[in-house]
Amino acid sequence: MKILLIEDNAELMQNILRYLSNEGIRCETAQTLYEAEDKLLGYAYDCILLDLMLPDGNGLTILQVINNLNPRPNVLIISAKDSLDDKLEGLDLGADDYLPKPFHLAELLARVKALYRRSKLGGKDELNFNEITIEHQNLLVTIYEKPVELTKKEFDLLVFFITNKNRVLGKQAIAQHLWGDYTDDLANFDFVYQHIKNLRKKICAAGGRDYLTTVYGIGYKFDENAL
Amino acid sequence: MKLLNHLTIMYLILTLLALAIGGFFIFRKLESEINFELGMELNRQVDAFADRIRQGAPPERLTSDRLEIFELSYSLPEEELTLRDTLAYHDPMNQNEIQLKGSKSYKIGDKHYRISYYNLVVETEDITETVVYTMLIVLLVQLLFIGFFFRGVSNRILKPFYHTLDQIQQFNFQKNLPLDLDRSQIREFNELNDFLERMSQKLLKDYRQIKEFSENISHEIQTPAAVVRGKLEHLMNLEINREQAELIHSAYQNNERIHRIVRSLSLLAKLENEEFEAPTPINLTEILQKNLEMLEELIHLSELTLETNLDPSVMVNMHPFIAEIMMHNLLSNAIKHNQKEGWIRVTLTPDLLLIDNSGLPLRQNPEELLQRFKKESPHPESVGLGLSIVNQICKTYRFTFSYTSANETHSASIGFR
Repeated sequence: MKILLIEDNAELMQNILRYLSNEGIRCETAQTLYEAEDKLLGYAYDCILLDLMLPDGNGLTILQVINNLNPRPNVLIISAKDSLDDKLEGLDLGADDYLPKPFHLAELLARVKALYRRSKLGGKDELNFNEITIEHQNLLVTIYEKPVELTKKEFDLLVFFITNKNRVLGKQAIAQHLWGDYTDDLANFDFVYQHIKNLRKKICAAGGRDYLTTVYGIGYKFDENAL
Repeated sequence: MKLLNHLTIMYLILTLLALAIGGFFIFRKLESEINFELGMELNRQVDAFADRIRQGAPPERLTSDRLEIFELSYSLPEEELTLRDTLAYHDPMNQNEIQLKGSKSYKIGDKHYRISYYNLVVETEDITETVVYTMLIVLLVQLLFIGFFFRGVSNRILKPFYHTLDQIQQFNFQKNLPLDLDRSQIREFNELNDFLERMSQKLLKDYRQIKEFSENISHEIQTPAAVVRGKLEHLMNLEINREQAELIHSAYQNNERIHRIVRSLSLLAKLENEEFEAPTPINLTEILQKNLEMLEELIHLSELTLETNLDPSVMVNMHPFIAEIMMHNLLSNAIKHNQKEGWIRVTLTPDLLLIDNSGLPLRQNPEELLQRFKKESPHPESVGLGLSIVNQICKTYRFTFSYTSANETHSASIGFR
């Protein structure tokens, strides 16, 4: 997967770059609209991460250029302009998703992958992780080819973990992923823990390995090398 | 009351007062004039009778119902004309009438006569009637004038004023247009318009600055907060020991707190700037149900029981985004400040939203919790802005909001009407 990140804040860019490249995603960057347009016309990307407040204008203006590209890449708006109008306008102009800053990098990766799945693979792909297979289209999880009954939340959680495997996911990031943006102040109730406990129980009951580990109370990790 | 009506009524009252005073003086003048003329006439009559006696007419033959002749002692001095009102028999009308009696005495030959002559007076009622009648006609003419000229002319003079008033009422921050008022012939109106135009420009400028400030502050703080969050997330993934993990966790949580505070404050600023107009009524029941569905799991996980009593379609004038925040804040509040095996009861009627929940009695005045950064729980995650935001939302849309606590029950109620 190849991504163009249009973002003027160098530090933020570094953060995203580092996280995504660890996942084997090729990531190019542009700090201005001008630079971005240049790259868009020269190369093909699967996904554009678009910040709205750029030094030479509003990022929304470049949506026009993106919409005329063939094949058209997915557009995920990442903006600190926490304004509803921008969100609605962006989605209206053809953006595929909107992630307000500050976001969790794990969430960003999950959204990018979900977009990729939806558009490039028609939602038909299977996510394989050792003995675990996830079919997104049917919301089906199998372990050693035996289906496992998961709730919607547990399914989301498992996908989120496997997408961000081998990484520590903070409780906040997990809570926000499961319950949305405005639920973060409720996350302290250890609901995250309850879901993880249930998920772990179901995976183990189906004969799967216990990949989930706790990291010093900060968060959880879906660890490939877990014993 | 409309300015023009006010002016008309004042003008009418003054006119009536002037007419009443004028009428009174006209009445007085008329009465004294009539009496004077009557006295002169009586004087002439009495003189004429004295002449006839002098010419030898016998006084007793002259006497009639209007003429009295008395003989007085010769030694008395001659009397001047005296006039006085008296009730006397009036033959043609066959009854007693108020009459004016003029008396004067004459020494004719060796006799001394007092000759008195009566005549009917014009009655006070008659004069009053005449005066009132005249004044009413004058009033009628005045009314016609007021109707056609005064109101017409005033309306024209006040037109620029009404126009200005109209423009002020339509003034709106969202339109972002300063007032542009017409010039008029009247200096005072022009001064008023100048002032208003300057003021509207200043208001819009201030408004834009505040809006920009709140947007910028949100952006300028959110961006570094995002950077910090990313760095900490990377740090979490390095080889760390427990102590480092704790430090990272603490830094992470405080960074999250900054993020939440900035977001809430910027929302409050936007609400205060009235950036969320409510052009059309929205279905509040739908929004409430959506929020309840979203939070259902958390309610269940918190081991709370939920009881709802919702009117199927409650339409309220509100921005949908704000309605969502309001519902979310109230419901999260009810979940957070609950107790083990507690309950939440949500009631929605066209006039009222009521969210009750079980919870420990409050240690502080519930009204205080509506203030910014005032919170009940010692919870570090809780910022203390949730209810302030609801309070500000209610102020913005002119709803009434009250938060009370009694007998281990907390109630938040919002009145829409």
